[in-house]
Amino acid sequence: MATGFFTDTTLCIGCKACEVACKQWNQLPADGYAFSGNSYDNTMALGGTTWRHVAFVEQPAPLDAPPSESKWLMVSDVCKHCTHAGCLEACPTGAIVRNEFDSVYVQPDVCNGCGYCVPSCPFGVIDMIEHADYTRPSFPSDGRTDDDALQRHGGVAGKCTLCYDRQKVGFTPACAKACPTDSIEFGEVEELKARARTRVATLRARGVDARLYGIDEDNSIGDLNAFFLLTDRPATYNLPERPVLPSTHQPAAYGSAALAALALGAIGCLVFRASAP
Amino acid sequence: MSDALDLRALSPDAANRGASSGDDTFPTYYEQPLLKRPHWGWEVVTYLFVGGIAGGSGMLIALADRTAGEDAALARNARYLSLALAAASPVILIKHLGRPERFHHMLRVVKFKSPMSMGVWGLIAFSAASSRAALAQAARDGLVPGWLAFLGPRWFTNPAQALVGAFLAGYTGVLISATAIPLWAKGKRHIPAASVCSGFGAACAANAALLALRNEASDSQRKLERVELVAGLAELAILLDFRRSAGALGAPMFDGARGRKLTNATLLGGIVLPALLNVLPFHPRWKTIATSALTLFGGYALRESFIEAGKTSADDPRAAFRQPE
Repeated sequence: MATGFFTDTTLCIGCKACEVACKQWNQLPADGYAFSGNSYDNTMALGGTTWRHVAFVEQPAPLDAPPSESKWLMVSDVCKHCTHAGCLEACPTGAIVRNEFDSVYVQPDVCNGCGYCVPSCPFGVIDMIEHADYTRPSFPSDGRTDDDALQRHGGVAGKCTLCYDRQKVGFTPACAKACPTDSIEFGEVEELKARARTRVATLRARGVDARLYGIDEDNSIGDLNAFFLLTDRPATYNLPERPVLPSTHQPAAYGSAALAALALGAIGCLVFRASAP
Repeated sequence: MSDALDLRALSPDAANRGASSGDDTFPTYYEQPLLKRPHWGWEVVTYLFVGGIAGGSGMLIALADRTAGEDAALARNARYLSLALAAASPVILIKHLGRPERFHHMLRVVKFKSPMSMGVWGLIAFSAASSRAALAQAARDGLVPGWLAFLGPRWFTNPAQALVGAFLAGYTGVLISATAIPLWAKGKRHIPAASVCSGFGAACAANAALLALRNEASDSQRKLERVELVAGLAELAILLDFRRSAGALGAPMFDGARGRKLTNATLLGGIVLPALLNVLPFHPRWKTIATSALTLFGGYALRESFIEAGKTSADDPRAAFRQPE
């Protein structure tokens, strides 16, 4: 059964309970205490040990404008668990697999830290954890940055597991469990899609410019098991407007290499000829 | 309503961020990168370079063996060189991965969709063919018992090294093109071809230098110079066409300090200058060695430019919002 998230940004209140719950359950290290000045977002991006990220888009409005005209958008971003996942296709070890919940899962003990999945994700989700403790298969990092023994082992790739371990025992993923407004809904993907389509229709009837991101779109990624309801264009939330599956570039790229090799080989054959006796 | 809002104006250091892809209509998220940078360093650059020379040498062996013994010294050197570089490649990759056993994780699956998986198996196949070819060569050279020559018959190892060698020189370009990095994806028709040309040219240079150092077969050197010239000019044309077609997406590679380095080290120093030196009518040893060193340095600089410019390209959110199809 395919399970996933429907993240309805119109319900998000920016409490970051999902970020905290994710960090806590998955025993991921803190991101530090930097102050970004970018609204209330000091996390700034998903990363190898940051698997939920609440983005804050605080749009200024004139002081005398009615409250309805000011806009403060929030979205809890997460790994999309794509139907056609760039990271999964790129992985040369088979460490990244699709599990029985149809989630894209990194097996940390198989990952060899080659890093090819990182530039292969069109959403910029997966990243390297430099100091990984691969000996603990349930979670890839303890975040120690000064431990020489761990450093020697090299890093691994890290991203949202869709709480594989919690799902195994029938629990809801930590972020969805903690979400106080049900902005993050967890469930069976087809059921979530139906609910999302109804929700969009309702919002539009109320005059809200709502749109779904990640399902019912025509692109090479296919539907996302973690999809979103947005009220502005995707770029506003740092989501790609038109993601492209990297492996679709391969035919042209292999063709380019083959053409060059054939041309050079042919010219080489012309140059390397036995001289006339 | 939202389109009228320019979020970039809210970011105090917006003007200091990396080169823009040129499409200014996109709002960005506080100029934050959308994509993640690859964490590849000098090990990966060196592997791309070494693999290119190894593969190019594999192609040269088959060519040198076409001439009824005239280029036997070249074929012999190239057999030893391709084995040495094929053997060095896993060492470089293991340095990148951190621990030796991590390399063998790549040997538990064969994935046609993953150029890195295909490349590892290509490297294994190339190493196997190169080992047998070098062993047979050593047997013919009297370094090991002569009967061992049957392990690497030229009718088998020559086409194997040429075909897998061409793959080895080119797949690294496919590998970086088949990603979400805008510069690399945009270069899917140019980067792989340029990689093959650069690898083949570097192999010509390395083998010409070996011949010069060993004072062997000047006829082979003239032939190498000719094919190196063709490969270099092809590489130059491909890179200039890439620059034209990439437009603003090519800025991380072709503009600024990195662009100047690419022009000086690869285009001028690594292609044009060696080509001019090669067409000079006199051929002292020092000239061959200097030309080869320039070509090799230019080849390394090109691979470094691909990787480093890719990191900068990943930082440009506007380029990543609409990814090259």
